[in-house]
Amino acid sequence: MVLSRFWYVVVALVLGAAAYVLFLATSMYDRAGARAMGEALNSDMQVVTWYLKDDARMRAGQLIKFAASEDIQKGLAKASESEDKVPREARDKVQAELTKVNAQIDEDLKFDAVFAVDQHGRVVARIGYDQASGMEDFELGGYPVVADALHGYVRDDTLVLDRVYRVVGRPVEFDTSSLPAGAIIGARMVDERFTRELSQRTGAAVAFYANGERVAAGAPEGFDRAQLDQIVADLDDVQSEEDYSVKGRSKVRTINGMLGVIYARLPGESWELGAGYAVGRLPNAVGTPLGFFNRADDKDKAAVKLPIVGGVVLLAAALGLIFSFIEHTRPLQLFRAEAQRMAKGEADQLAPSKFRGIYRKIASDLNDGVDHVAAKGGAPRKAADLGKVLGDLPAQPQMSAFSFPGDASVSGVEASVPSAPSHPKPAAPGPARPKPKPPGAQDDEPGANSPPPKRPGPPPRPSAAPDEAEQEAAEWQRVFEEFVATKQQCGENVEGFTYEKFEQTLIKNKDTLVKRHGAKRVKFSVYVKDGKAALKASPIKE
Amino acid sequence: MKALQRVGLRPRGRGLWAAVALAALAAGVVVPRVAEAAKVKGLLANFRYLENAVWKDALDPKKRGFSFREPVPTVRADLRKLFPHIPKEVCVAAIAGEKQKAPKPILIRIGGGRTTPVTLVVPPGTQLQFLNTDPFKHRLYGVDVQSFQPGDTARGATRDWTVPAAGRFEIRDKLAPSLRFYVVAEPNVVQSVYPNLKGEFQFGNLPDGEYTLQAYFGGDKVGPAKPVKVEGGDLDLSKEPIKVAPDPKKDDKKPEEKKAN
Repeated sequence: MVLSRFWYVVVALVLGAAAYVLFLATSMYDRAGARAMGEALNSDMQVVTWYLKDDARMRAGQLIKFAASEDIQKGLAKASESEDKVPREARDKVQAELTKVNAQIDEDLKFDAVFAVDQHGRVVARIGYDQASGMEDFELGGYPVVADALHGYVRDDTLVLDRVYRVVGRPVEFDTSSLPAGAIIGARMVDERFTRELSQRTGAAVAFYANGERVAAGAPEGFDRAQLDQIVADLDDVQSEEDYSVKGRSKVRTINGMLGVIYARLPGESWELGAGYAVGRLPNAVGTPLGFFNRADDKDKAAVKLPIVGGVVLLAAALGLIFSFIEHTRPLQLFRAEAQRMAKGEADQLAPSKFRGIYRKIASDLNDGVDHVAAKGGAPRKAADLGKVLGDLPAQPQMSAFSFPGDASVSGVEASVPSAPSHPKPAAPGPARPKPKPPGAQDDEPGANSPPPKRPGPPPRPSAAPDEAEQEAAEWQRVFEEFVATKQQCGENVEGFTYEKFEQTLIKNKDTLVKRHGAKRVKFSVYVKDGKAALKASPIKE
Repeated sequence: MKALQRVGLRPRGRGLWAAVALAALAAGVVVPRVAEAAKVKGLLANFRYLENAVWKDALDPKKRGFSFREPVPTVRADLRKLFPHIPKEVCVAAIAGEKQKAPKPILIRIGGGRTTPVTLVVPPGTQLQFLNTDPFKHRLYGVDVQSFQPGDTARGATRDWTVPAAGRFEIRDKLAPSLRFYVVAEPNVVQSVYPNLKGEFQFGNLPDGEYTLQAYFGGDKVGPAKPVKVEGGDLDLSKEPIKVAPDPKKDDKKPEEKKAN
């Protein structure tokens, strides 16, 4: 029982440990995923920032083609000379040249709109930006990027007009001894196409926003672009974040417990207008231990060392079966065999000494039960096989030995005391013998001084002289006390070991030996056998 | 002399001239000279040492106005300065000794990231009419001006506002940070004009009397006030330019010269 119960505890502990490890692994995996997501988001943000700057620089380089055009230089110089109105001739010349130069620009670097601006800030000619069609007095001179270009600088900007535009400008020089004749301004609209290209080249999921709304979004394959719509709900909160408002870049933020986002303000005039962009990623998390099954792919599953897993399972099962066989199946089989023997009449009682644990107690109880049934007049049973009860008896009436095999761990000596033969027991002659107290019994213990229960129905024992009976009772009393003392010395449990049971056993054995050997009486003596107290029965014929 | 832009302010009883000037400003055309009026010509100097506040602010690193900004080496270094576009940003006002009546409404164009003009000097009570010439809306508001709360002005639409009292007023745009419009409400202003790119300006029809010519930039006075007395004839003050900014080179030399002495 101990092994199997220990095994159950071991298995339970292992299961608990496995569950603990699984939850631990889930938490660690999710945390590592969140950390990896944060690092990836920072990387995405850096790449997108670089891309925007690099893209602006490359496009600014394309403006040289316009600025180097002699017709554009002359046309802008002529327009700047006229403070009242841009001459039509200048407009037409610059317009034609803008179109011509624009056709020479690579498709990837083309602008959505190009403006030729004179020294007064007026738009002399343009390509794209059809919103300004028919507006002869359309100008751009107030914007810092245009003013910078008109004063000799090349730079970029982000303007939030009717839409968001990435803008670059550079001066157009005609006479190097005077102010630039004008400036050439290129604008790239931040729209779905722009963000799609950006996302394809950077691998980042990115969304641009302005005026509290998402204006464009792009995401790599496998990322649901609609996820980026969630940033709109978070824009108000991110505005209050110090890092965002001061440094222009937020910390990693999580929307709805899933989408990780970093926001950045767009450089340029849009900085003051709250326009910016956000990169997003979904975390690589499992959530629950079962989530590992959902996230594992074939490669992961192939990496599992199945032989080890199978070996552990088989070993655990084998140990469980072995312990179960040793502690359950085998004792049960033994008990069943003994019970079958008893059922066939080969034995009148079970031998508790053959059994262990609970089976021993069951056997003892069964024997007691049989005795009670017999005492109530049950069917007669044949005499006990003393050879099996007491071992081989000597051929001559010298000495017979028997012991009270006891198990200190099992309470009650009677459980190990062999049952008495079932034949009728002669009634005890003479006056009732004083019944000794069981070891450790208190005087006031109920029943401690009460007379032994009267055994109903047994035939009276053969008569004997009163003196002999008294002597025998005194002797048995002494033997009992010696036996109890010896048991205690051997460390055996004597709790519940009463004189009545001891006496019954002696009577049964005495009767058997007297009948078998024709002895007059039987002398019992105490000795130690295999570390346990035992009794020897010596038939005396004189 | 190149054409001069002129805002329609006039002495009392000359409404016709004001209307013509307003229409001229709105159309962006030259105000025709009035032959019989006294002309007062003048010249502004050192205006290239002025700095446009909006453009200067855009260079503040904290405002992250750009991701890169580099000078073009072929442009002379002395020209790579963000001096204002004076035909729109510097206003020269002729101020009389007595209060003037508010003129008819003055049109202010909104477009290209600024207003035209950028600085205006008018008597209190003058009605201003803001016209949006951009293809998108603007949301103008007065800085600390209760009577000018933020409001949208759609493409081609106008918005009116009357200068409430004497003082300096600043109008901005919630949707265009570069737009700043300055109104100086001066009760005695008779007329305001704007110089050309060279700094030349001209008052076209000043009646006889004593005036003070004062230049304004960014809503503030720049340069000294120049007293002028008109007595039935044209005046040319170009020989004594009005310095709207100190000359940094000369100012820098002064301390050194003092040390040397």
